[in-house]
Amino acid sequence: MTSNFLFSSLILLPFLAAPVVYLFGRWTARKGKQLGISLTRALTVFFLLVEGCILYLVLKQALSSGGAYLMIGDEPLVFDGIGLILACVVLFLGLMVTLFSIDYMSNEKGEEKFYALLLATIGSIIGLGMSYDLFNLWLWFEAMAISTYLLVAFYNDEPPSLEAGVKYLIQSAVGSALVMFGIALMFSQTGSTTLTDLYQLTSSSAPLAKIAGVLLIVGFGVKTALVPLHTWLPDAHSQAPSGISAMLSGVVIEAGMVAMLRAISMFGKIDMNWGAILIGFGCLNILVGNLMALRQTQVKRLLAYSSLVHVGYMLLGFGFGLAFGRIEGATGGFFHLLTHSMMKGLAFLAAGALLFTLHLSKEEHVPLTLDDLNGASRKYPVAAIALGLAVLGLGGIPPMAGFMSKWQILVAGVKAENTLMLIVVIFAALNSILSLGYYAPLVNRMYRHEPSTAVEQGTKMPVLMAVPLVILTIAIVVIGVWPSSVQFLTEQASLSLLYTFFY
Amino acid sequence: MNLPIPLIVLITILCLAGIGLYCLLITRNLIKVVIALQLIVKGAVLAFILAGNMTGQLNLAQSMALTVIVADTIVAVVGLALAVQIRLKTGTLDIKSLSSLKR
Amino acid sequence: MTATLIALTIGIPWLGAIIVWLLGDRREELTHWLSIIFSLGAAVTSILLLPNAASETALTIPIGGDFGDFTFVADGLGIFLSVIAAVIGSLAVIFSKNYMKGEASLGRYYSFVLFFIGAMVGLVLSSNLLLTFLFWEITALCSYALISFNNDDPKAVKGGIKALIITSIGGVGLMVGALIVYAYTGSYDINNFLANYSNIPTNILALLAFGFLLAAVAKSAQFPFQTWLPDAMEAPSPISALIHAATMVNAGVYLLARFYPAFKDVPYWSDAVMIVGALSAFLAAIMALVSNDLKRVLAYSTVSQLGYMVYAIGTGSVYASQFHLFSHSIFKALLFLSAGAVIHSVGTRNMLEMGGVGKKLPLVKWVFIIGALALAGLPILNGFWSKELILESGLKNGPLWLYVIMVFVAGLTALYTIRCVWLVFFGEPRSDYHAHPVGWEMKVALLPLAGAALVSWLAAGRFSVLLGEESLPYHAVEPLPYLEMMHEVLSLPTLVVMAVIAAAILLWVFRKKLDGLVNGLKSIRWAAENSFGFEAINSAIVKVTQSTAEALRVTQTGVLSWNVFGILASVIILFAILLLGA
Repeated sequence: MTSNFLFSSLILLPFLAAPVVYLFGRWTARKGKQLGISLTRALTVFFLLVEGCILYLVLKQALSSGGAYLMIGDEPLVFDGIGLILACVVLFLGLMVTLFSIDYMSNEKGEEKFYALLLATIGSIIGLGMSYDLFNLWLWFEAMAISTYLLVAFYNDEPPSLEAGVKYLIQSAVGSALVMFGIALMFSQTGSTTLTDLYQLTSSSAPLAKIAGVLLIVGFGVKTALVPLHTWLPDAHSQAPSGISAMLSGVVIEAGMVAMLRAISMFGKIDMNWGAILIGFGCLNILVGNLMALRQTQVKRLLAYSSLVHVGYMLLGFGFGLAFGRIEGATGGFFHLLTHSMMKGLAFLAAGALLFTLHLSKEEHVPLTLDDLNGASRKYPVAAIALGLAVLGLGGIPPMAGFMSKWQILVAGVKAENTLMLIVVIFAALNSILSLGYYAPLVNRMYRHEPSTAVEQGTKMPVLMAVPLVILTIAIVVIGVWPSSVQFLTEQASLSLLYTFFY
Repeated sequence: MNLPIPLIVLITILCLAGIGLYCLLITRNLIKVVIALQLIVKGAVLAFILAGNMTGQLNLAQSMALTVIVADTIVAVVGLALAVQIRLKTGTLDIKSLSSLKR
Repeated sequence: MTATLIALTIGIPWLGAIIVWLLGDRREELTHWLSIIFSLGAAVTSILLLPNAASETALTIPIGGDFGDFTFVADGLGIFLSVIAAVIGSLAVIFSKNYMKGEASLGRYYSFVLFFIGAMVGLVLSSNLLLTFLFWEITALCSYALISFNNDDPKAVKGGIKALIITSIGGVGLMVGALIVYAYTGSYDINNFLANYSNIPTNILALLAFGFLLAAVAKSAQFPFQTWLPDAMEAPSPISALIHAATMVNAGVYLLARFYPAFKDVPYWSDAVMIVGALSAFLAAIMALVSNDLKRVLAYSTVSQLGYMVYAIGTGSVYASQFHLFSHSIFKALLFLSAGAVIHSVGTRNMLEMGGVGKKLPLVKWVFIIGALALAGLPILNGFWSKELILESGLKNGPLWLYVIMVFVAGLTALYTIRCVWLVFFGEPRSDYHAHPVGWEMKVALLPLAGAALVSWLAAGRFSVLLGEESLPYHAVEPLPYLEMMHEVLSLPTLVVMAVIAAAILLWVFRKKLDGLVNGLKSIRWAAENSFGFEAINSAIVKVTQSTAEALRVTQTGVLSWNVFGILASVIILFAILLLGA
């Protein structure tokens, strides 16, 4: 197995698997039998596992031969640290979401489309991580966006879902258009869109490059949910099926951020403080996200606003890294990317499990409110402990993983030895406490003795739905007490990022 | 008018993008929103061509432009499909009435 | 050997926590007994650590990177606090067997108690600042979970969240301090910092010192962060005894004691510490005097006594403050547990509805009186010796006016203590209560504490050796054999303090005749009942945050045009910033 073959199959497999999975699903649908759809589910899990194995093999080869890359025509695809961590995160979370969705989506109309689109999303995110050319990056980004438009508006009989999908589509498309203008500007400057060429051919004060940079940040920023570009996020994340909410908050936003970082990394020579822009957006995200989440009464909307906060933390980490050359910042940012995907994924899956048992299994498409959570722990202990630990971890309480990743980001801030950054660090720490102001009451509600009417009338939770919850819970506690277990991934990624930026 | 062609193209791009953005902000009909979006993207396509002309890389620019057109058509199709579904389920295409998810 | 003991003292309760959680509520008796066994196990191993005090790193768990290695040091300061945590923890668990009989969710209760015991031991034995902060936050988590144990009671939930948020705000001080230590010395190791603190630039060191002071003030409920402790009294009484009297609130004092050698020369730091301590002691004593809720009186009293300990550190006597910590843990746990027995038996926390309880519960009355005498500082009991040592140190090293305040507070302490004892146990019943008898488990928990309150002061000499040069090389604690201590304490200033206490007791006995005086002080009484405005500040902050959040919600209009406008606006704003920057 040559490295080229393995690498190309890593990129192509999800896209080949998607139509296969869809066709199997339709095969027996007309006859009304379950065989086709069961095959779909099993095949999706199978293909994801195969993809994981291929990733591992590519990694081994890359480590032994010092790097792996592939050229499709003139487009370079590079397997570096950033691609590795994004691929690991998306495959792990994708597998958990698939296992979860087997029961969650089991009676929905169009279920086979769900799995096909999920595979397509996963494939585009893996490709996005690998791309090393600005236009190619935009292409994968667009592919990912299109797959997610359909997933967000999956419940196409419910007006709120459609509304969320439409808003997401229009705003994301506007962002894409801005990115296109940015790419065109850069192309007009240098005649190429490869990141290395762009880095070398820009001079230190090119004004057009700065304009292009701003367009790229804002364009990719719509997908990354920077404030004030975030307005699509609460609607999309709360209306999508819960597995997709987990994917959106856990990977899709982060993929947007990775795209933004790749784009900025070519601007290393230009004398503009890109790190400061990231830190500024980061602080804004953290504050606005916390304040908006404080007053929410719907669980999934609360979790969506909390995603804003964590994107803010990641931006702080990367900002510290780019502005001051502190590698801990970038490592912390990637570490937080990893832990947030797991914790937020777990939170959405647990909330989804409760939404399923309390409402969806009875065909009621109503949102899960905080009042519905009252007393959930007696009937649904697994979901309650999962949601509780996930949410407390998001608030930065040890021994969950969120504590360690936030710590690493703040280390970078203090090591910068700059008074303003120290104030930013204190600001970020205080906001962590503010977030406890809406996480803690949620946990308290679940452990009441008096159940809500929804809980009393809720159905039994399927066992397969509990499996990803347990796996993710154990994962976040293990990483929380043993943070160095994933340092290999995060360090590789931050080295790749800073290497392109500073050299 | 003796303006050089690149400048005419630049003005066209700015007009397209500007009109598209303006319509996007002002209109209340969902279909018009999608059309306005298309206008902006066509402006971007022209920008690619212009950039290719300025740097002599017309072939690369041409392939990029084609790819953008394809990707954007898909987005428009999905957007219009959602618009149709919204019209079926809520009976209206007015985005002001499409604001039940707020705060 | 030491490494294994440390691992066991933290690991046994944590293993117990997992087992009890998984056991759930299925077998109540088994849950009670398992918890008792696990907590006793931790108590035994912590006592076994006592002879092994040393200043070298005993246990290292390599983690690496930006997180340092998780190291533990079994020095005197850490060991004695871990003994307190584990032993009082096991007594509280034994007490809970009776107090929490028949309650639901026992699995959750015991699991958090055991988790807390392990975390507290880890907190004091850790020598890596990140690890210290990690355990600090875990104790805050357990405290929150246990205060709001009865989730259906909104007051309990509010109290728990308030405690979590206020102590976490203080925790930011510790976190920033730990980050600064790492950034400027390259390591999280505490002993390394104490040896090299002079390498840190002075303004950064000042920031570090005051940050740690902030963390200690919030954790130990000193002014101005004391508002969470009275509301934390919604917790079950064994929790109040363990967490909010004997262990977690001491973490702040522990932090100040541990880092004193590095901070003592920071300008204004020692003065700030003394003033915070004295102010807390004074204002809390007044609030204890006017409160009618039995547990709140004890809560304010805790704040006041912690004020003494903080004041002692400010005056430079780490030994006196830790000795008082030792005595206070014993007698305050005793008071809270016996108060718990009374409340459980009588069914109310309001002292005005009690009276004459002593006739129904004689054992509880006697142990409470022992605890009360220790608190008031009467001779022979452990509180007397430790409080006098603090006052001696204050007279020698601190400003005179603060000393006078502290002596006055000693009088106030005696006054509110005797008021409390009288209202609860003596006189005629003022309401129709039914007193349940006290179970044997409660008695088993109370008696050792009462005995300790009588004799623990005899350990003063060994205690000073424990904190001495061998295990704490940077703290300069002189050995103090107890004969020398008695000589030091039984002197003129002590007689003055005794006179003040006697005057206080007389004030109570003749209270009917002093009605005029009481009426004259009515405005102070009103201020104290409203906690001198601090509760008002608290609620104001919460209200402002909530209303800002509510006002911000308008920005999420739900209309697509506004959303797109937001995107365009940010492009324009960024362009403007670009132009200005260029």
